[in-house]
Amino acid sequence: MFAELNSILNVSPEHFSTGEFVLLSDRQSDASFLLHHFLGFYLRAGCQVCFVALAQSFSHYSAVSQRLGVNLSQAKEKGQLVFLEGLQESLSILNPHDARTGSEAMDFLRNPGAGLQCLFQFVSSSVDHSRGAEDGGRGPPVLLVDDLSMLLSLGVGVDAVLDFSHYCRTAICSQLKGNVVMLLRCDGEDDDDDDVGSDDGSERLLRGLTHQCSLALHVQSLPTGYCRDIHGQVEMCDRRRQAGGQQRKMTFHFKVHDKGASFFAPGTSSAVL
Amino acid sequence: MLISFSICSTMLHDLLQGTDTGGLFIIQDSGSCSGRRLLWSFIKAALNRTEAVHVLSFEVSEDELKDGLKGSPIERLHFHNAYSDPLAWTGSATFTVDQFCVEKVTKLIKQTSQVKTAILAIDSLSWILRHISPSAVCKTLQQLKNGGCVANVIGLLHSDMHSRGTVGSLCHLATSLITVKAVLRGDQAMITKRLKSGKVLQGEEVFTIKDDLTVIGQGKPSRSEPQEQMCISNMADPTANLTFNLRLSESQREAKEKLALPFVFSKEKKAALLHTGSGRIVYEPDANDDYDQEDPDDDLDV
Repeated sequence: MFAELNSILNVSPEHFSTGEFVLLSDRQSDASFLLHHFLGFYLRAGCQVCFVALAQSFSHYSAVSQRLGVNLSQAKEKGQLVFLEGLQESLSILNPHDARTGSEAMDFLRNPGAGLQCLFQFVSSSVDHSRGAEDGGRGPPVLLVDDLSMLLSLGVGVDAVLDFSHYCRTAICSQLKGNVVMLLRCDGEDDDDDDVGSDDGSERLLRGLTHQCSLALHVQSLPTGYCRDIHGQVEMCDRRRQAGGQQRKMTFHFKVHDKGASFFAPGTSSAVL
Repeated sequence: MLISFSICSTMLHDLLQGTDTGGLFIIQDSGSCSGRRLLWSFIKAALNRTEAVHVLSFEVSEDELKDGLKGSPIERLHFHNAYSDPLAWTGSATFTVDQFCVEKVTKLIKQTSQVKTAILAIDSLSWILRHISPSAVCKTLQQLKNGGCVANVIGLLHSDMHSRGTVGSLCHLATSLITVKAVLRGDQAMITKRLKSGKVLQGEEVFTIKDDLTVIGQGKPSRSEPQEQMCISNMADPTANLTFNLRLSESQREAKEKLALPFVFSKEKKAALLHTGSGRIVYEPDANDDYDQEDPDDDLDV
């Protein structure tokens, strides 16, 4: 959890808004450090977290969270964290000789064109199951997904991913008053400007998710090139209803450290001042 | 609280009054500027005119819509929930996207309201277009527009989600098209209105929407808006106050303009280089040259 990001977003583990859909995206950069922030933040806030991890193994997230002061194994044992390790679960489907039957959540690998209804059903059942658990003092449910571009690479269509994110928003944000955080990595290809709608890749998915989300954090590398002291810039766009109707947009520079990340206004890096 | 509008009645305000019937209004927006609040302003204006409003909502929940329309008379608002389960995944579907055809929509409207001057607001058309072909959507919209069960249809379209052909087909059906984009002073609306006589009116206006969904016109967009961001107004003359002379006198300026640049290919140079017509190429083979055209490799010692 990064304290500076909390103050920028005006939230704290004791006080944050619910019913939010946060979209983390990057283009030729890596926004996964923000996902670790939100994972640590919601676990500290005592929320019921469901993490759909398609990009890395559990030990990776555990190691990174350890450095940020959060123990994922303990949270998993307590039942606060439900972790879907996509890489592990998909082995039984991808390897026909494997006798184990993996989680039904990854069934979309058998037929990627059919959509992500099974994945959604896993998410909603794990969230409902933990709501009914004996420990009733938990906070609102939270879903984290890392990351949606993996689904595109596995053959799932952009429309199917948008349907999945719509249903997650309906079930978790609207009905259960929880939050959803999804990471999308764009590959930075120049899409054909003449016919943007026919581009079936991450750019169209990014546009679709931007319409659905309430807060968008877009990470890019600096347009001027590599810098040792500034690792990139984050554009924050708050799409919630603002007085006057305009969306609030802010840009920050950031630097990722061993045990966290610091955020500062453009031009105020400690190396410069 | 009395809010004073600008004296000339703007196209946007005319559309909000909604005096015509049999119309299809399309609000086009993009990721950087949402048109949803403008759609809500239209809904509120219709409710204030004591018309019934049916909202077919795929993208916002009932709570969010009613929260946005706070302070408006919502007794005449009929919310049709296509947000919770539009694809029948959870078994709680009240309206699925497959049911978007003129018969089912008409049945839905007639079930809840028998009033003739009803408005149908669709949020959003983009959601439907992701599942139903554009031609079917256009057909349904055309039938609804002319069908008579509703007076007007208003739809929100995210133009950056579809190909130009799809967006173009839908906008062609619209009797009024409003495209919103964000500018410094507020939002800019580009309005195209097709009258029944065949005349097409176009206009551009900048507006803002207050918390109570009142639309305040900010006048015409200023042409120099893009330059405002560059901030080069009132730049001082850089050749003043120097210890050396950077200016040119008249004769110096003339001489400079007359000068032919060395690598520019002008007409005079072209004429000098080309000898048109009077040239002839004479070839006299040397002793070492092999002039035998049939066997070019004859001189090789292989």
